[in-house]
Amino acid sequence: MKRAPRWIVYVVAVLVLNFPVIVTLVTSFKSGGELSVNPGLWVNQPTFDNYLKVLTVSDRLNIYGYLGNSLVASLIGSLLAIALTFPAAYAVARGNFGRRLLLPTVVNLRAVPLIIFAIPIYMMFQWLGLLDTQLGLGLILTIVNLPLAFIVLANAIADLPIELDEAARIDGAGTFTIMVRIIWPVTRAAVTTVAIFGFITAWNEFLFGLMLTTTKAVPVTVGASFFFAASGGGVQWGPASAVMIVGALPPMLLGLLMYRQIGGSLTAGAVKG
Amino acid sequence: MPASSPTTDSSARQWALLATPLVVFLLLFLGFPTVVDLIYSLSRVSFETLRSPSLSGVENYVAALADPGFWSAAWFSLRFGIITAAAECIVGLALAVYLAPLLEKRAWLMAPLMLPLMVAPAMVGLMYRLVLHEFVGPVPYYLYLWFGNSPTFLDAGSAFWTLVVVESLQWTPFAFLLFYAAYEAIPDEVRQAAAIDGANSLQTLTRIELPLMAPTLAVAAFIRFIDGFRVFDNVYTLVGSGPGGATTSMSIYIYEAFFKQGAIGKAIAASVVLFAASFAVLFVLGWLARRRGPAT
Repeated sequence: MKRAPRWIVYVVAVLVLNFPVIVTLVTSFKSGGELSVNPGLWVNQPTFDNYLKVLTVSDRLNIYGYLGNSLVASLIGSLLAIALTFPAAYAVARGNFGRRLLLPTVVNLRAVPLIIFAIPIYMMFQWLGLLDTQLGLGLILTIVNLPLAFIVLANAIADLPIELDEAARIDGAGTFTIMVRIIWPVTRAAVTTVAIFGFITAWNEFLFGLMLTTTKAVPVTVGASFFFAASGGGVQWGPASAVMIVGALPPMLLGLLMYRQIGGSLTAGAVKG
Repeated sequence: MPASSPTTDSSARQWALLATPLVVFLLLFLGFPTVVDLIYSLSRVSFETLRSPSLSGVENYVAALADPGFWSAAWFSLRFGIITAAAECIVGLALAVYLAPLLEKRAWLMAPLMLPLMVAPAMVGLMYRLVLHEFVGPVPYYLYLWFGNSPTFLDAGSAFWTLVVVESLQWTPFAFLLFYAAYEAIPDEVRQAAAIDGANSLQTLTRIELPLMAPTLAVAAFIRFIDGFRVFDNVYTLVGSGPGGATTSMSIYIYEAFFKQGAIGKAIAASVVLFAASFAVLFVLGWLARRRGPAT
């Protein structure tokens, strides 16, 4: 049993790193009565009441609205980032266009605190009527996703053999046709990974959701805290836990499903960027 | 101009055309805000006169730089960034090296370790309000049960360190992931050669493996420092600006100056200072990388 200590370290690491999620999950199955006498890590009488409460629309709280806003804005943020960076990544990888200025600028955005753009964007959105809209939030989430999308797609295209392009060019295909017909299909794996991770990143964004939305387009990361103050008095921890689980579940499931690809692109994006 | 016979000139134009949507988007959503930042930072502006700023020179910068709150926020962010980056990299590295033999044959074991990266930091902050709650939180509960006492985690004295732990626990998996990939990328022949030369496993680690992983270590430390420096979500949802403003990070300082105090000019001036600082850091790093690049 040479491996036993490693297994123990592994299990402890998993439990400690995921501790807040575990506590929240356990608490979400406790009734209000049980919670006041049992703050421990087990449940005496599991109940789904907290989830029922959260999933019931009240006049002030609508979980489906928050989830829907997160879904739409994250889809915009994920797909628009790909639509913008894929052609540019192709230009970088094959045409050497933008390698000295465009690519470093976008990749370095990763290292710029985005709050410095938040106030002018707030003003701009006010003028454009984009405050508190799913589209407005989605546009900002696109910015958040650009750096990783750009570098991962540029690397993916650069890794393809140049003969692919040359063969198509001899057959008379133009640059745009080659990109759409030849390059796009064979980079599908990278594109999917970028889309999924972009979706997760967008779903988990908070600062711009907090600043740019008030009622109609509130994402679930912001809306979750509304449930904390819902009952006037103290926090009802049962429903509050349930809403956190509901809000955190979509990106966690996607992450579990795609952990291998996400790990690969995070590593590549960081090291090659 | 048939696309199939590109002269150098027309193909250059085609590449530029492909990059155009991205460039336009950047100019619109980052270039324009940057210009607004610069103009408004030099103007007298309030929520009433938002569209008609009047130039006022550097008084916003004076207001920001003379505000002790600005400097304590900068100090908070700097300390927070350095300490969390160091903690995440040290623990992440130790886990990556120690657990590598386990993970090599069972890739799926990575998934639970990566799970914290998939949870919104804002949600994690909310979750810790529960975890650390004095009546319903398991941590104080078990500390009372086992030791008869529990510290207050979120008062002025301990909030900083509580947040350091919260941030580090969530992002250690990121450092771990990078280090594990770098560790696995070291060819087995290198290790075998070291073993043949009589190096023990500690020597192999410190003399061979760690130097080979050095670039990754630097990248991970830098990314984690930046993310720690600009921290907002989990701090905001767990304690806000904290008791007596004790946990006001740079991002929270700008947010509160704008939304809570309505001090638009000061908030924007602080943004520009932060912009200049991150630009300077990136410039120096780029310069260092270029200088090292051709030499190696």
